[in-house]
Formats: sequence, C-alpha cells, structure tokens
Amino acid sequence: MIEFLKRLLRTPQGAIGLLIVLLALVIVLFGPSLAPHDPESLAPLARYKPSSLNYLMGTDQYGRDILSRLLIGGRATISMAVLATVAGTLVGALIGTTSAFLGGRSDEVIMRTVDSVMSIPSLLFALLVVNLLGSSTANALIAVAVAFAPSMARVTRSVALSVRKQDYISAAIARGERSSYIILREMLPNVVAPIIVEMTIRISFAVMLFATLSFLGLGAQPPAAEWGLMVSEARQYMHLSAGILIWPSLAIAIVAVGFNLLGDGLRDALNPRT
Amino acid sequence: MTNATTPTLDIRNYSLDYATSGGRFHALKDINLSIGRGEILGLVGESGSGKTSLAWSIMRYLPKNARETGGSILLAGEDLAAKSAGEIDKLRGRRISMVFQDPSTSLNPTLSLGRQLSEVLVRHRGLTKTQAWKEGEAMLAHVGLKTPADMMHRMPHQASGGEKQRVVIATAFACNPECIIFDEPTTALDVITSRQILDLFVALQAETGVACLYISHDLALISRTASRVAVIRRGVIVEQGDSAQIFGAPQDDYTRELIAAVPDPRHRLVTTEIDAAKEPLVKVENVSVHYGRKPFFAALTGRAHQGTVGNRAVSLTVNPGEILGIVGESGSGKSTLAKAMTGLNRFEGKIWFAGKPISGLRDMGTEYRKDVQIIFQHPDASLNPRQKIGEILSRPLKLYGKDGSNTEEIGAMLEQVRLPRSHADRYPHQLSGGEKQRVAIARAFASKPKLVICDEITSALDVSVQASIIQLLLELQKASNTAYLFITHDLNLIRQIAHRIAVMYRGDLIEIARAEEIDRPERADYTRRLLEAVPPPAGTQA
Repeated sequence: MIEFLKRLLRTPQGAIGLLIVLLALVIVLFGPSLAPHDPESLAPLARYKPSSLNYLMGTDQYGRDILSRLLIGGRATISMAVLATVAGTLVGALIGTTSAFLGGRSDEVIMRTVDSVMSIPSLLFALLVVNLLGSSTANALIAVAVAFAPSMARVTRSVALSVRKQDYISAAIARGERSSYIILREMLPNVVAPIIVEMTIRISFAVMLFATLSFLGLGAQPPAAEWGLMVSEARQYMHLSAGILIWPSLAIAIVAVGFNLLGDGLRDALNPRT
Repeated sequence: MTNATTPTLDIRNYSLDYATSGGRFHALKDINLSIGRGEILGLVGESGSGKTSLAWSIMRYLPKNARETGGSILLAGEDLAAKSAGEIDKLRGRRISMVFQDPSTSLNPTLSLGRQLSEVLVRHRGLTKTQAWKEGEAMLAHVGLKTPADMMHRMPHQASGGEKQRVVIATAFACNPECIIFDEPTTALDVITSRQILDLFVALQAETGVACLYISHDLALISRTASRVAVIRRGVIVEQGDSAQIFGAPQDDYTRELIAAVPDPRHRLVTTEIDAAKEPLVKVENVSVHYGRKPFFAALTGRAHQGTVGNRAVSLTVNPGEILGIVGESGSGKSTLAKAMTGLNRFEGKIWFAGKPISGLRDMGTEYRKDVQIIFQHPDASLNPRQKIGEILSRPLKLYGKDGSNTEEIGAMLEQVRLPRSHADRYPHQLSGGEKQRVAIARAFASKPKLVICDEITSALDVSVQASIIQLLLELQKASNTAYLFITHDLNLIRQIAHRIAVMYRGDLIEIARAEEIDRPERADYTRRLLEAVPPPAGTQA
C-alpha cells in the first residue's frame, strides 16, 4: 500500500491529482463547518460585492457569501458525481464481464445493444432519462449512472476478454463452477485495476454532467447551493459582477481536472510496466 | 588488433546488484568467464540464476535499477563498462550481437524480414540499401532458407518459427561479430525445428570462428554444442570446465543434482504393468474438434465456412491406473484433445467414460467433472492471482459436496503435495513456480478423480523442480491408482513414466505404442524423426 502510494506520488499528475481530490474530500466532509457565513442568509445591502476580507469571494445577486455556498454545495456536487459514477461503473462492469464470459452470440447481442446506447451522447441520454423520470437530484443521479454504464461495459469487456483466456477460468469451467461464481469471484476481481482508473477519470465527467443538468434546471432545484445551479443562476447577473459566475465555474473545473489527473496517476501507478 | 592470447570475451570478478524496494538483490557475484575465439561456452542454470542478467550486462543494456558493484567485462581487451553510450551503439550488432529466445517477439511484426536484416548491414557496414538487400538475400541462403529472395519480402507472421529464428541468426552473423550471445535460442521452437536450428548454429560457428556464449537451461543441449560449460546458480558460477568433464564427472553437488534430474529414457520410473484386458476407463471415439465460429454473414449468404481443424477423428483408450503419454509438436492438437475431454471445447464424436457415453458438454455432469480433472501448463495462469491458496483449494471441496472441517481438509491437501499447512493463507504470487504447480495438483486431486489430464505441467518448470513434481505425481498415482493423460513435448520424460505413448501430428493421431517399444524401427516415420531430433540426456555420449 505504501509502495503503491509512493509510486502514485512520484508522477506529477498523481501528486497534484491526489492533492486536489483530498481537498475536495475536506470540502465534502467539513464544508458546512468551514463556511464563514450562512449560505442562505440574504443581505440586500451587500449584493454584487467584489472580494473583500469579509466576503473572500464576494457575494451574489442576493448578497449571499459565494465562498460559503461553494463550501456547502461541494458536498452535493462531488458526492453525487462519485455516487453516480460508482453506480454506473458497477452496472457497466457487470455487463462487460458477463458479456466477455459468455462470448459468442450472447456477447455479440449484448455488445451491439451497448454500442447502440453508446451512440446517444451521454448528455442527451441523461436529459432523456431525467425528462422521463422528472427533474430531481435522485433522478439526475440515475440518469448519469445509466449514461455511464455502456462505456464502462466496453472498457471492462476488453479487459475481461483477456482474463477469460487465462487458465484459471478454464480450470473453473472444467471443475463445473456456476457461471455466476466465475463472473463474480474469478473474473471481476481481476479486472478491477483498469476499472478504477477509468472510474476516477469518469468522475470528472460526472461533475461536469451534473453541473450541466443543474445548469439546464433539470438537476438540483434552487435555493440549493449546487455548483452547476450556481453557475446557471449567475448567468443573468454576470455583467453586474463577474465573480458570481467565475468562482463556481472554477470550482467545477478544478475538481474535474483533479479527478482526471488522479486517474492518470493511478493508471501509471497500477501498471508498473509503463 | 587482437592477439591470439587475448580471449574475445573476458569477464573478470563481475558483480551486479538490483536495487529493489526490498533492498539490494545480488544478481551476479564475482563472475569469471572467458571465451576465446572459435569457442562455445555453455552457460547452464535454472530460472532466476542470473543467466539473462549476465547476457544483458555484456550487451550493456541494463535496467535502471541495476548497479554494477565491481569487476569488468572486456571485449578483445577493451573494457565495455568504460565506453560511452555512443560507442556502445556502434559496437552492438557489429562486434557483439545477440539471438533471443522467441523469434516471434524479437522481430518487429510491422517490418519485412528483409528490411530488418538489411538495416543492420546499412548501419554497421555502410552498404547502400540495394547492396544490403543483395547481401541479405545471400545470407538468408546461407542460413538454409530455400527461397531467400521471397523470404526477404515476407512479414514475420508469414514465416514459421524456425524460419524466423534463421533470419534472426542471419542478422546476428550479418556483420561478422567477434562474439554472439545466444539466449535459449531453441526453447520456443519445436523439437525437430530446434534440432535443425542447432545444426545450423554449429555449422555457422565452425565456419566463422565466432566466440559464442550459449545460454540454456537444457543440459542435454548444452552438452552437445558447447566445448566448455559453466554452471551458474543464484548468481554464482559453481563449476566451470570442459563439457565432457562437467557432465562425466561433476565436482559440485549442484551440478550433480542437475544432471541427475534430467530425464533419462533408459531409466524407467514406472514399473507396474497395466492389465489391458479390463474394461478401459476412457474410450475416445473419433473425436474431432474444429476451431472458429461460422461468421454471421457467411451463415446468411450460405457460404461454406471451414474452421481450423484442432483434432481429426482421434480415437484412443486409457485404462484404469494407466499413464498414457501424448507427445507431439506445438499445434499438433494435444491440448485441444485435453480441452475437449474436459468440456472446454466443443467436439464431434463420442467419449465413453466408465461405460457411460458422453457426446457433448451437456453430458458432462458433476459426476464426470469430479472424476476427470485437468492440470494446466502455467501455474501462474491456472491459479487466480486474487484468491488465497486456501480459497482456491476449498472450491473443489464445496463443489463436490464435502462439507465439514474445511481448514482441516485443506491442510491435509497441502500436506499431501508436501507443502506446509500455513501456505493456505498465502496468495499465489508469494509462492515459487514449483509450489504453485503443487497447489494446482492438490486442487486436481481434491475430488479423488479417476483420470487426471496433465497438460504440459512441467514444461514451465526448472529441471530439478520438474523431477520432484514428477516424483510427487507418481507417488499420488501409486496411492490412488489414478489414470493420467500426460501431455508433453519432452520425449525423454514421457519415456520414463508412461505405460503407452500416443504420437500426434497436425491434429491426427499417428500411432500409440508401448513406451518400451517407442524406439523400435517398425514405428511410424514421424515418430522416428521425432525421436532422432531429441538430444540424448546429458553426459551419456561424453
């Protein structure tokens, strides 16, 4: 484990990514207690304030402290992105491994179905799901998870195919093991490493996808302090104060880049041959 | 220039360490070797003994964590370690070259064979491209390729393993180097092909008088090619001397062990006779295997599709308690038959097991699975790296309905294959190759099977480990009277342990003969060629 961390920290991507993700974790865990102001208290006299000692990132159109809103909104934004990605990954990994194990016709049918779902852009697909289920935070989560599953299935299948050829799978088949045991206990643990890498990178997409959904009014609803929603609301007032728009956008970008870098670092660390 | 007394390659007190996370690993310690002009020095050792490390340090191509702690490597009196990277670049390929184990990975799959050969000539001998191409053709003719002009244009995948290795050898000899390192050049090849490559090597060496370092784990091979032999163990050369002396009267204990472990067909390990009158345990009747699925579009258009043939109407029987050897080159369908019998391949035909007919996967119930077990070639691949040994061994117990004190039973299984009980808590990668194969054997024997199919189970192991695994298998066989279907390409080994030997060639069963009678002159043509190609065990002809 320590050896693995050392390898991760040796690459600049890994080190920076880990730092940003740890920072994000602090925000998720302690954001509300770190916030200097009440994120929902309106201050009609302190609207559109630029950065100052009292309001480090200024205030928005209702005079709410932007920093506090970011700190509290982080919990919703980041944890939702992680949850949705994990859910999508689990479903995708299961589909991919099953498909690789079955092989032949069934593989063909499953993967062509996955391909056709994949041909719909993930944002459009998420929009479709949210439209069908109604706009709410939970539905946005399902939408993102469903949108991510096909591509995870593809990644997993390609890894699982090489695992499928290993003798320990042949040994399990020759012993007469049930398919579910082979898929869950023999194959899945061996495809985990590349999936984790792919998942970490996907989290950054999920952050952006959630932000987009909220921006379009289909995810979190006001007055929630979700980052995408903050950008969406700030759009009308950006000519009055640029800070309202810039700070949440920057937060989204940094977290997305952080997870992306961590994913790159993990890929190098988990595969010592590169 | 070189005078006659300076050896071509001289290694003096050379030591090499690898810096690993677990501290320093001494790969080579105080190596002293010298090879004169026209001499072949055989370097014998088991895996992990530092043979290949030594080859790479001569080639000056060491991994980043390698630390040279002392000594020198002299090529015709010049210290290689003192040379700059640029000088080494010029030297590699021209004055010193190397032939690798596997020609299919040492040739670039995207360049034609001619291009790879002529590149060396252009770079080191300053020829123009057309000159180099002509010269290349001449060289390919020289290494015994029948259509050199045609071969120059071929891509690596269009040539057979033997042809590719000939091209690699031609490349190594291309610039008349002073020294060539051969790193197990025939290990990846079939018996007959490797024999031909070896003959070629000996002829070329005698002709050019190049100094050769011939690295191999195969003692029989070394004893036939090398004039002097060095035995290396864990980075230390334990014995060095004349080939005849090393194999005839070895001084060191380790050398003696190694030579004793080499299978010798004259020394049979199985003495029991099989009563063929009894009903056979397994009867394989006209089993054929075709690889490849009919393409979807071919099915739509009704186009005929012929898959690759794995087995063509193979029929054989195995009696209870018999050891039936199956030999043949790679691609002869040995493993295909094993897979068909364990339900890993579809097959046509019929298998009778203990009087019951089996004509497809559906007929292989739990009872059949329990009675027929398979052990694979690579223990690394056949044990799931993410499962502990205990879990791996508990599966057959669970599957074949033996509940109760599981840990007790697993411990007993481990002891049966001479492994400590504490190994149950380990992961496969914490075990050595031989130990892993023992775990695989324990897993196969957990269900008390009537037939165990051993698919090349010792070919990935070192000679001494192989000997102990074979001994274990024979003991288990004596105790439980299990029949073995022993698939191998090692004829010397199978002649030691099998009751009968089946010879396969390109999917066909050529013949089945009693092991004692396999070398009779009335055997099939192919069988005799196969036997001729096998080097006699080390030390017998010295």
